[in-house]
Amino acid sequence: MTQLVWNGLFVGSFYALVALGYSMVYGIIKLLNFAHGDLYMLGAFAGFAILGAVGGVSSSMALPLLLAVLVVTMVVTGLAGVALERIAYRPLRRAPRLSLLITAVGASFALEYGMRAVAGADPRVYPVRLGGTSMEVFGARFTVQQLVLVGVAVALMAGLNLLVTRTREGRAMRAIALDPRTSALMGIDVNAVISRTFFVGSALAGAAGVMAGAYYGKIDFMMGFLIGLKAFTAAVIGGIGNIPGTMLGGLLLGLLESFGTFWLGGEWRDVFTFGVLILFLTVRPTGLLGERVTERV
Amino acid sequence: MRATPLKCFTSLAVLGLLVTGCGQGLLGDGGGGQTAAAKDEPIVLGMLIPQSGSEAAIGPYMSNAAQLAVDEINAKGGVLGRKLELRTADDACDAQSAAAGANKLVTEGVDISVGGYCSGATLPTLPIFGKAGIPMIIPAANSQELVDQKLKHVFLINGTGSQQAAAAEKWIAKQGSGSVALMHDNTSYSKDIALRTQALLEAPGGAEAVITEAVTPKESDYSANITNVLAKKPDFVYWTGYFQEGGLIARQLWQAGYKGSIMVGDGSVSPKLVEIAGDEAAEGLYATMTQTPDTLQGAEGWIEAYKKKYASEPGPYSNQAYDAVRLAAEAVTKAGATDGDKVIAALEAIDGFQMFSGPLKFTPEHTLANGGFQILVVKGDGFALQDALK
Repeated sequence: MTQLVWNGLFVGSFYALVALGYSMVYGIIKLLNFAHGDLYMLGAFAGFAILGAVGGVSSSMALPLLLAVLVVTMVVTGLAGVALERIAYRPLRRAPRLSLLITAVGASFALEYGMRAVAGADPRVYPVRLGGTSMEVFGARFTVQQLVLVGVAVALMAGLNLLVTRTREGRAMRAIALDPRTSALMGIDVNAVISRTFFVGSALAGAAGVMAGAYYGKIDFMMGFLIGLKAFTAAVIGGIGNIPGTMLGGLLLGLLESFGTFWLGGEWRDVFTFGVLILFLTVRPTGLLGERVTERV
Repeated sequence: MRATPLKCFTSLAVLGLLVTGCGQGLLGDGGGGQTAAAKDEPIVLGMLIPQSGSEAAIGPYMSNAAQLAVDEINAKGGVLGRKLELRTADDACDAQSAAAGANKLVTEGVDISVGGYCSGATLPTLPIFGKAGIPMIIPAANSQELVDQKLKHVFLINGTGSQQAAAAEKWIAKQGSGSVALMHDNTSYSKDIALRTQALLEAPGGAEAVITEAVTPKESDYSANITNVLAKKPDFVYWTGYFQEGGLIARQLWQAGYKGSIMVGDGSVSPKLVEIAGDEAAEGLYATMTQTPDTLQGAEGWIEAYKKKYASEPGPYSNQAYDAVRLAAEAVTKAGATDGDKVIAALEAIDGFQMFSGPLKFTPEHTLANGGFQILVVKGDGFALQDALK
């Protein structure tokens, strides 16, 4: 049982990291950024390219090196997110919501198949792997590396929470989320804040991508698709647009999947997961911690 | 440009003429003699392979090898004085894309189909090629469901799911394993082998199938499934899906402290599996597989030719794709025409045609009389022959 909880929390922390970007972008411009999962994929590939450029390293240096790569990758995917917003979303900001949604789907495919054209369809394997033998505590098996990854995820989320609740930047984001036009009248540079929101959200997805690449080893151009849907589900469960809610949603989704697999069997895992999504959308579309009445797209 | 009704009508009419024109070229005049126009036209081989989607990595291996065979045959003067031409289409390992791709190949006037990798994607293309009178030589897809359709234009040159399951059961018995966990990915190919192996294990006396676990393909984390599997304490795990998940599952089993044997099905036999799993997790992993270039005596020349042309190792199913083209050429030569019925008759009559998997003869069901499955083992960073199961 403890094993199930641990599995769920571990996977859930990845979901939460990716879901945050979804939630922030939705919160600020009411766009479901379906290309968000592909920024996770982009992060995994960027990390792969950087590690390849650095060359061989001894395994004792693997963890510090990975943390350095993580930071560089976050900058890269952050900028990619900004570019995505600039090219695909900003020209359509005044267009009907549906056009934006369709553009997001198009952007997702463009990123996936663009990466396939660049890196090929073959899955790649990370040159630096976080493996390590596991230890057992209270009947649950885990590795030190897993703990480090969860620690990094928690630190990133805590940092984000501080950014949004305690800084001028965060206040501007929240103001725009409430009313972009009034915020502009108050002297907030709305475009710049939206760009920075995309930067932060995409950087978090990129961080999750590098962590997944280093832990699981395998990366491929389609890896963002399913996790994008899962992250969306996590955001809906917790309350899309609500940051603590999204973190909670990610962890809950991880636990739901872990226990769902145990109770119902592996083939029901996704049925169960997306069934929960439908349930939330019909019964409580604002999610567990969401307060604002969200508009459904 | 606005399309007026008249324009629509004329374009339809032109299209109709084109299609019937094609039809005549395809079917010939039925008398065995080729028309003058057909004489110069190439014999078109169509190949549906995954070029996008989860199995996109496999497509190029197969089309490269098929092109290699086409080039070799053309260099020797072609078939019946006509050149061969290979046309590929993407099935994305997905039923809908496969149906669209098959329709595209049919309208392009393909004479024989030599493709088919994912069974779930190949299944819906059977009636499409069948309706157009196009014989199919399927190089890789091998679900029993393809055979159960009992279609006379469908020929499988890879061992079937039941033959693979029989090989797996034989090896499990030889290993003296007591409890077996079967894992599949819910696709037609994978589930078929897992359930057939499970059925074979139900016979009393041998090993027991303690759990059959399905996973969702394309995920990264299978720890929930692995927790389920390990709770039943198996000493043998048989994964019947593809290599992408296979590598992750092998690694995550190892990380979870599993010490027993792991075996994978033929869809997982790829050097990438070892790379994904990592050396520690992959060492000693078994696989049920038909003959591959690596385990084949006398294939060195072929591997050299492939490497020279494509600057890479021939990957999984490249030898089957190569054989499919050669077999198609052989059948057309024997039939003396590209007419569907004659080619089918020629294929049924083939006896002793040399393929990588040995001399070919079809059973009445159009599967290999000799499935030829063997057991491979991971040694270092590649697969080596463990037991030929003769």
